Amino acid sequence: MKMQRLLLGIFAASLVPAAAAAADTIKIGYPMPLSGPASVYGVPVVKGAEMAVSEINASGGVLGRKLELLTRDSKASADEAVRLARELIIKDNVDFLVGTLTSAEAPAVSTIAKENKIVFIAPTSKTVQLTSPANLHPYIFRLASNTDIDGRTGAAIIAGWKDVKRVATIAPDYAYGRDAVTAFVDYIKKARPDIEIVDQQWPKLGQSDFTPFINAQMAKKPDAVFCDVYGGDFVTFAKQAGPLGYFKAINNRMADSGEVGATDEALALGNDYPYGIWSDAYDPVIWPENEPAAHKAFIERLKAYTKEKYASGWAIMGYASIFALTEGIKKAGSTNSDKVAKALLGLSFDTPIGKLTFNEKTHETDMGEFWGQMVKDDRYPFAVMKNPKYLSQGPYTN
Amino acid sequence: MMKKSAPALVRRIPWVLVVFVAALTIPWVGSRYDTFLATQIAISALFAMSLNLLLGTTGLVSFGHVAYFGIGSYVCGILMKTYAVPFSIALPAAAIGSALGALVFGFFCVRLTKIYFAMLTLAFSQIIWAICYKWNDVTGGDQGIPDVPYPNLDWMSSIPLLGDLRIAQQFYVLTLIVVMLSLAAIQRIIASPFGLMLTTIRENPERAASIGLNVRRYELSAFVIAGGFAGIAGALFGIFNRGVFSDFVYWPKSAEVMIMTILGGIDHFWGPVVGAATLVLLNQEITSYTQYWPFVLGTILLLLLFVFPGGIVGGLTTGLEWLRRKTGRRASA
Repeated sequence: MKMQRLLLGIFAASLVPAAAAAADTIKIGYPMPLSGPASVYGVPVVKGAEMAVSEINASGGVLGRKLELLTRDSKASADEAVRLARELIIKDNVDFLVGTLTSAEAPAVSTIAKENKIVFIAPTSKTVQLTSPANLHPYIFRLASNTDIDGRTGAAIIAGWKDVKRVATIAPDYAYGRDAVTAFVDYIKKARPDIEIVDQQWPKLGQSDFTPFINAQMAKKPDAVFCDVYGGDFVTFAKQAGPLGYFKAINNRMADSGEVGATDEALALGNDYPYGIWSDAYDPVIWPENEPAAHKAFIERLKAYTKEKYASGWAIMGYASIFALTEGIKKAGSTNSDKVAKALLGLSFDTPIGKLTFNEKTHETDMGEFWGQMVKDDRYPFAVMKNPKYLSQGPYTN
Repeated sequence: MMKKSAPALVRRIPWVLVVFVAALTIPWVGSRYDTFLATQIAISALFAMSLNLLLGTTGLVSFGHVAYFGIGSYVCGILMKTYAVPFSIALPAAAIGSALGALVFGFFCVRLTKIYFAMLTLAFSQIIWAICYKWNDVTGGDQGIPDVPYPNLDWMSSIPLLGDLRIAQQFYVLTLIVVMLSLAAIQRIIASPFGLMLTTIRENPERAASIGLNVRRYELSAFVIAGGFAGIAGALFGIFNRGVFSDFVYWPKSAEVMIMTILGGIDHFWGPVVGAATLVLLNQEITSYTQYWPFVLGTILLLLLFVFPGGIVGGLTTGLEWLRRKTGRRASA
C-alpha cells in the first residue's frame, strides 16, 4: 500500500530542522489576546510593549543588543497560550516570556516557564493563585496588583462611606471575581463591623443578560455595591442596569475594582457610563490636576505611536513589562534566565507612574491602583476619573 | 479499502510496527520542535482514529466526540495532579471513565438516527463542557488544571539511548507506545467479526436488523469503544499540553477532529492518521505565514470534498490505481 509511503514522507518532512535563530537580538515572546473580546485590552498592552521596545532599541538596546518582540495571539485561551509559549521557546528560541492577559492564561504559561527555566513576567493577570506559595517558582514575576489588593482597596473606599450599612457584591463567577470578593468581604468586616453583606450575585463571565442579577440585588435594598464586573461585561451590565434604576437605587454608591475607571471602558460606554461611581485603573490616562511630567510625556508619546485620539489605560502595563525585564537584564549583565530571575528580586525600575519594586518573597511589584470617582467632564465626551488617588499596596498587603 | 491487486507480501507487513519504528527515530534525528509536533500528531491521530471507528466503520456521525476526549483528560489530569496517582493507573482510569461516559450518553444517542443522533451527541458534549467549566472545586473552572505532572519515566533512564533524552522526548516515546498499541487494537477490532458487523450496519442498518443483528447494541458497543480510545488520547494530551482546560471539551474540538478524519479519508484505516498529521503540520506552517488559517483550511476542505471525496488517502489510492493501470504492473514494486 502506497499510503504508508506518504505517511513516512510526512514524518520525514517533519524532520526538517527549524531555521537557526539569529543570535544578535534578545527575543521576547509575548502571547496576548489579539482577537475576540479580550483583545480590547490585549491590543493596547501589546502596543505599549512595542513602544517600549522601539524606544529601547532607538537608544542602543540592552547590553549592546536590540530587543525583538515576538507577539502571538493567545485568543484569551489558556490552552492556546500554553501551546504558543512552548512553540516560542522551542521553535523561536525566545530568551524570555512576557504577556498573557487573563487569570486563566498566566498560571498555565507559568508552568511552561518553570519547566523550561525561562523568566516569565505577567503584566496584567491578577489572581493570587499565580504567585501563591504552592505555585511560586524562581522564574515567575507579576506586575499588576493581585486580587487581594483589588478587593481590599475597594473595601477601603466603601468603608469610607459612613452612612452605608447594607452592602452587596456582584462579580464574575470565576477565580478572579471569587478571589477579589473574598478579599473584599474579609477586609470590610474588619474595617466596618457594622456593615452587613446583604446580597452576593455571581453572573458568569461573558453574561449577556444581567437583568435577573440586577433585579435580585435591588430587591435586597443595598446602600452600596462592591462590583468586580469588568471589560465588555461591565458595558453590558451598565447599559442594562441604568434603565432599571439600579444605580439610582444605590445612589451611585458603587466601587468597581475591575479597572472600569480606564479610558477604554469610559469610551466604550460614552454617555451610558454610570457617572458618580468609584472605580480603579492601572493608569487614569486623563489626569486633570497634579499630573506627573513623566506620565504626561508618556501619554503624548503613546498617542503619537498609536495614532489614537485618546490613549488606553492598559498600555502602561505592556510598556512597564518591557522596562522591568530590560532593567533585570542590565542588572544581571546577561540574558541567562537564571541570572535575570535573581536580578529581578528586589529590583526597582522607573515607570511613567512612578518607581516599582519587585518583592523578593512574592515576586510581585508593589504596584497599587488609581482610584477615583468617575465624573462627567465637559472637555471629554466620556467619563473621567476625578482626582485620581494612588492607593499604594502598603496598607493592603498581608 | 484493501486493494486486491496489492501483493500479499505488502499486506502482511505489520504497518503499525513500521510506522512506530519510523516515528520512534524523531527525537534522535529531529529537533525538540519536531518531537513536539510529532507528539501532537500521534495523539491527534489516535483521537481521529477513535472517531473514525464511528464515522468510517459504523457510519455514525458524532458531533460530540470531544466529550470523551475531555473526560479522559480531566480524569487523568485530576488523578495525577490532585491525587498524585501514577500514570499506569490514571491512564486506564481515563479510558474506563470515558467509556463509561460514552455508555451513559450512547445509551440515549443510539436511540436516534442521522441528524438527531448527531445533535444529541453535540448536546451531551456541551453538557460535559458546562460541567468542566463551572465545577470550580474539581475541574478548576476556566483556569483548568495547570501543571499536570509528567509520568514517572525513571525506568527509561536505564535503557540505553532513551536515558539521555529530555523528559518531553521520553514522554513522546511513551505516547508513541500507547498510541501504536491502541492503533493495533483498533485495527484488530475493525478486522474482527464484530468489526465486520459494524460495517454491515453502516452499509444497511435495516437489512442488518432483519437478519437478526441487534443494531442498537452494536452501535452502542462501537460508541463505548470509540469513547474509551478518545479518553486515552485525551489523557495523553492533558499531560502533553502540561494542563487540562475546558477548551478541550468545547465543540470546535469536535469539528477539528472530524476535519482531520475526513481530510485523511474515512474509508481507509490510515486515513485519520494522515489527516491528523496533515492538519497539525498545515496549521503550524500556515499560521506562521498568515492569520487567515481558517480560510486556507476551508479552501483545502472544499477542494478535497469535491475533487477527492475519499480524502487524501482516498485520492492517493485512486491516483495510484490509475497510474498502475496505465503503466501496467510496474508500479507494484
